[in-house]
Amino acid sequence: MLFNYNIDGFENIQHQDYFSLQKNINQLMSLYRSYGYQQISTPTFETYDLYVHEDSIPSDDLFKLVNHQGKVLVLKPDATLPITRMAAMNHPNSDEIIKYSYQTNIYRNFSSPEMVKKEITQIGIEYFGNNSPECDGEVIALAILSLLEYGIKDVHIDLGHVGFINYLFDELALSPKSKETLFRYIENKNIGDIATYLEQLKLPTDKKDIILKLPTLYGKPKTVLKEMKKLCINEKMEWVVEQISEIYHHLEVMGLSNYVIFDLGFTNQMNYYTDINFKGYINNCGEPVISGGRYDNLSEKFGIPRPACGFAIDLLKVIDYMEQENLLPQDDQNKNVIFYDCTDKAAAYQFAEKFRANGSIVEVFLSKQTWEDHVRSFRKSELYKNAKLYFLFEGKLFAEKNNEFLPFDSIAIESEVE
Amino acid sequence: MVIRFALAKGRVARKAIELLVALGYIFEDYSEKSRKLIFTDTTGTIEFFLVKSPDVPIYVEKGAADIGIVGKDVLMEHPAQVYEMLNLNIGRCKMCVAGYKDRPIPYGKKLVVGTKYPVIAKKYFHTKGQSVDIIKLNGSVELAPLIGLSDCIVDIVESGNTLKENGLTVLEEICDISSRLIVNQVSLKTKHELINPIIKEFETQL
Repeated sequence: MLFNYNIDGFENIQHQDYFSLQKNINQLMSLYRSYGYQQISTPTFETYDLYVHEDSIPSDDLFKLVNHQGKVLVLKPDATLPITRMAAMNHPNSDEIIKYSYQTNIYRNFSSPEMVKKEITQIGIEYFGNNSPECDGEVIALAILSLLEYGIKDVHIDLGHVGFINYLFDELALSPKSKETLFRYIENKNIGDIATYLEQLKLPTDKKDIILKLPTLYGKPKTVLKEMKKLCINEKMEWVVEQISEIYHHLEVMGLSNYVIFDLGFTNQMNYYTDINFKGYINNCGEPVISGGRYDNLSEKFGIPRPACGFAIDLLKVIDYMEQENLLPQDDQNKNVIFYDCTDKAAAYQFAEKFRANGSIVEVFLSKQTWEDHVRSFRKSELYKNAKLYFLFEGKLFAEKNNEFLPFDSIAIESEVE
Repeated sequence: MVIRFALAKGRVARKAIELLVALGYIFEDYSEKSRKLIFTDTTGTIEFFLVKSPDVPIYVEKGAADIGIVGKDVLMEHPAQVYEMLNLNIGRCKMCVAGYKDRPIPYGKKLVVGTKYPVIAKKYFHTKGQSVDIIKLNGSVELAPLIGLSDCIVDIVESGNTLKENGLTVLEEICDISSRLIVNQVSLKTKHELINPIIKEFETQL
């Protein structure tokens, strides 16, 4: 009887996919390494206390469990928080520059819909101790380069800055409820509903006009910058314009500004970002594959005030796209298979070692049928259909070619395998 | 480049196509009885297809369509990562709680609610602090209180005639519903030059 042991939201990774995944991870890790990022890892379990006051992740989305001491643990729902804590614990000097890269699985107990993955493979970087536009520029540039490295061309980064909206709303006496509603409408670019909602609020008309403009602040960076300048009503908003234009300049210098679009509609309702905030998209899919930004207040939780900026890539989503576009690296190394008669066992393993010494993949089987039968059954199998088959008889090796068995010169192994 | 519309089959689509035609787009091969799935306008700049309304947000979120026209009820019931840019004010109606007038909820019992919109109903009663049992139905929701399956229903009410004929009344109004124009989050930026004029045109038509 067959049972269905699958759990919704969790998946096996097949060998072909795992090969590509591993290749992709290595590729990005060496990219990050070349920019000075060092790979680290944090535990799979975290204490529940770390996340209980964190607005960015709803408590219902956490996988919780209780350890033998009665302590409530969670499966790591996010990479940034534990890494920030790790940096705070190991590097108490808050001026120190720390650059980390990571590859980890995170777990979110999304209640619906069922097909949404609950185990997410992330790869990314965190850059601590630098709050300059150059640091933001480097992080965004690496986000773009990560996708370009894979041969993906259709890359878009939406870059925003939560400060622009926050510094505007600081000047307005609004209840938290109305602020939340307006933020939600702005994120949705729902101008119609903003207008209707603003009618009920007691706000000066010029301020209302600015709020109505916020959802339209997207598109070509230079045009948006001009629009932003017109809307500034205090120095802090002007500072945001300056920051973001410097970051854009950095990306121009890097030759990556073509991939960037501004969108000032991001708010920090559901995340810990304090300044810039960006999302990376490929193709036309509305679901971002990269999410990142600056979170200058997070480290303070762990006693060390320290600016930081970083991003995470949803690696399996990217791989899904690469598979559709035939961009995945394929495992094309050929296999060799040696069949031997029971009297030739020692010789068979000697030959196998010779192959392996040359970097080849070789498998050894005891011959139980006629050679022709072995060939027939192996050619049918998905795993072995392209393998080179050898047969060992009285110390002599025969190579199979189109159902013929030709004596194989063992000295030729070296030349045969590049 | 073509701009693709996903339209919710039925009343909303008819009105949306009327709007598109009013904007000057001509769809020669479209008729209501046509079995074709995709229709292109004569200039080749606009394409639309008809899908079941709950599928519209997904088509737009995934980028299979750039723009979608769908009721607010669907967006509330099946939230998607899309921009909800315009209230088209077509297909206007109200999301309501309906039931028998003057029939109190049995004391100390959970309210049983029959609805096509379990997400909306759950959220509404949750914010009211009322505990409810929700029964998901797929149609003829008005039947549920009549035969004692539920105490009340949550459904969209347009004229209120169906309710009246079955002896039910609107007990509470949850929110206004009308058709919305939704846009794919990436298309809005990458096909900016094409999409923005269309949205502007829609806006002026209202």
